[in-house]
Amino acid sequence: MTKRLTIESIRWQEEPAKVTIFRNGDKTDIFFQITSAKNIQGMCRGRPVEELPRIMPVIAPAHHLAAARVLDSLFNVEPPPMALNMRAGLLQAQYTTSHLRKLYFLLSHWVCPFEDFRAAERRHRHMKSVHRMLHDIMHHLALAQEAEVIIGGRNDHPLSAVAGGVSRFLKEGLYERLAEIAESCVLFAPRLGEFFRTEMFNDGKAMDEFRAVEIHPMAMITLAGAEKSIVLKGVTGKETDSFPVARAFEKIGLHTEGWTHMPFAYVMEKGWKGLQAEQTGSLCFVGPLARLNGGEPLTSPMAEKERRHLIEMLGPFPHFGVVAAYGALLVELIQAAEYMKELFVQEKLTGPSIRIIPSEMNRSGCAAIESPEGLIFHEYKVNGRGVVENVRVMDAATANNALRCVIVQKVVSDAMTEGLDLSAIKSRVEISLLPF
Amino acid sequence: MNRKSKKKFAVFAGTGCRACEKAILDIHYQVHSLSPWTDIVFWPYVLGSRWEDLDDDVGIDVCFFIGAIRTSEERKAARRLREKAGILVACGACAAYGGLPGLDNLSYAECGRVESEPEDSDLIPSVPSIESRVSSLSQIVAVDFVIPGCPPTQNLLWAAMQALICGPESLTKLSYTVARLPENISRAITAGILPPNGSVFAGEKAVCASCSRLKEEKKFKTVIRPYQKYEESGRCLLEQGLVCLGISTREGCGGICTAVGQPCRGCFGKPEGVYDPGAKMVSAISSTFESESAQEIETMVDAFEDLTGTFYRYTLPSQCSLMSKPQEE
Repeated sequence: MTKRLTIESIRWQEEPAKVTIFRNGDKTDIFFQITSAKNIQGMCRGRPVEELPRIMPVIAPAHHLAAARVLDSLFNVEPPPMALNMRAGLLQAQYTTSHLRKLYFLLSHWVCPFEDFRAAERRHRHMKSVHRMLHDIMHHLALAQEAEVIIGGRNDHPLSAVAGGVSRFLKEGLYERLAEIAESCVLFAPRLGEFFRTEMFNDGKAMDEFRAVEIHPMAMITLAGAEKSIVLKGVTGKETDSFPVARAFEKIGLHTEGWTHMPFAYVMEKGWKGLQAEQTGSLCFVGPLARLNGGEPLTSPMAEKERRHLIEMLGPFPHFGVVAAYGALLVELIQAAEYMKELFVQEKLTGPSIRIIPSEMNRSGCAAIESPEGLIFHEYKVNGRGVVENVRVMDAATANNALRCVIVQKVVSDAMTEGLDLSAIKSRVEISLLPF
Repeated sequence: MNRKSKKKFAVFAGTGCRACEKAILDIHYQVHSLSPWTDIVFWPYVLGSRWEDLDDDVGIDVCFFIGAIRTSEERKAARRLREKAGILVACGACAAYGGLPGLDNLSYAECGRVESEPEDSDLIPSVPSIESRVSSLSQIVAVDFVIPGCPPTQNLLWAAMQALICGPESLTKLSYTVARLPENISRAITAGILPPNGSVFAGEKAVCASCSRLKEEKKFKTVIRPYQKYEESGRCLLEQGLVCLGISTREGCGGICTAVGQPCRGCFGKPEGVYDPGAKMVSAISSTFESESAQEIETMVDAFEDLTGTFYRYTLPSQCSLMSKPQEE
């Protein structure tokens, strides 16, 4: 007789998700299911192609920038330096909001996110430092959102990136505000890093139960060389293949299963081999940890220092564990703050031109960017009037869907062996999935 | 306010992105803690709530439904939350009008859809089936209030929360209520009573009323696509020849998109007095064609692309009179 267990709803996932477990004697099958789906192809087909940067953020905010880069390629235009700097600044602000929100969720996991903090502190004095950090995180998240609004027009659905550049100059006075925001983030990010290292990651601290949560090593995909080529890294973190963005869908395939609404990315050369936790040979993942797993030193000094702290704590890269994934978020957060400080100066955000008006149009275009959640790539085909005929998008959630399934299998089976109840298993699943 | 009188608040999301939910979280974190006013009893994204948490003893005073309805499970959720909630609010363009996911209705004929619920077996679980059409919340159940926008702006969201959740106890009730809200809603909020049922938490006029761009001459001379031209003049985008939906869209955003140099795409839905936003746009543009030559007009009309997908970018399922279906029950 098969026993069925369901764990829902899984918190903090970009799509509604649940875990279904079938137990029959010694045999346990674990499924991580995405229960709702957006049909991006259906939304985009038939639209004028220049509208896609305003539709794609329905996946995640960084898809706005990816779509604008596709338009650059489709219309054969290279944006002026000032526009490229504004786009780069927007992306770094998106890194900050995305990573900070994840860290907020992690910290607020141990407290009710809606409780009255002052009343809680009267009951538990030790919570004061956590509450203060939660407050500081949200303050800086609000600052990063302000930067997104200044540059992108809106934070969650930005709209300023257009074919060949950006849609407007910044107003006088906003340069100073952007510089203030960057300065505040640069001061805060290392403090956040230290807080997590001392209060969360050290032995005997809050993340102890996650120290052992590691997946079987799998390949990673990242971007290299002025965003023109995609690199496939093997389980050692070293490059095993490199190909132009235009060939991405020849190299990375999508496999669908009837029990989930989200497909799985896999390395086509290896073929689809299923989702067993010990057979990850054909699977791959993207994201902060995938980016750091190459082991190359970073050019930003404070981020590099944080990366070295991570190496001291966990050993050299590559890593495939949950604690390392949270560490990677911290490193990238500091790196984003340093980049913002570098970019948010008046000289970089001013110039004679903000966009190049296209004079020609190709019938197809593609681009990839490293979004906060991981590598994303888009490919559009249009008719002679610039109306979309076909769209292919690899978003980070799809690219990491196999990874998420494997993590869930590992976490649930280990937790069941330990005899944890469903609510404890749910909590462990949520925290393990959050940094990916 | 004592704990007993706290309102029970729920948030549920259907198909869409998480932007509206994050906007509510940001209100809580960045504008005002919600805990003095409300107990949040159901929110799958943030609290990991299960449907079992909403048993018979747990009532809901106010429920914000976010996202469009595309799966059988989302339809069931809409019905269940309508039954449980005293006040059901369509929050965001997807719930209110169908939003960007609603554009999928244009490609319905081309795409293969799962129409029936897949069989659950002892070995493989099923997922909720995809419906043949994307619907807005108001096409499935009766909706009490609407907060439009993709996502809703922070001031309108906070005004709605003060009106529906905080009630007369809100210490900050005056701070956001005046700007751009219709008079009857403002009056209700300042008086500490519920606004009239069916109220939309946004302005009454069109976006053009609050757009900062310079309007000179309502003449539509030529059709320009946004990638084809850039003008720094600050002139009305429609007058420049760009298809901007400001004239057929409810105000309340303050002209966010037009301020960035991008045409309005109608995420606040149609304003009061407009029956169909697409028809309004056709009327507005065609009545201002500068040319009187039939051939020139025909050439101009030929230059438009994807009028349906543009005029109903966020509202296709519910506000396109030729394609929308009435409420089911």
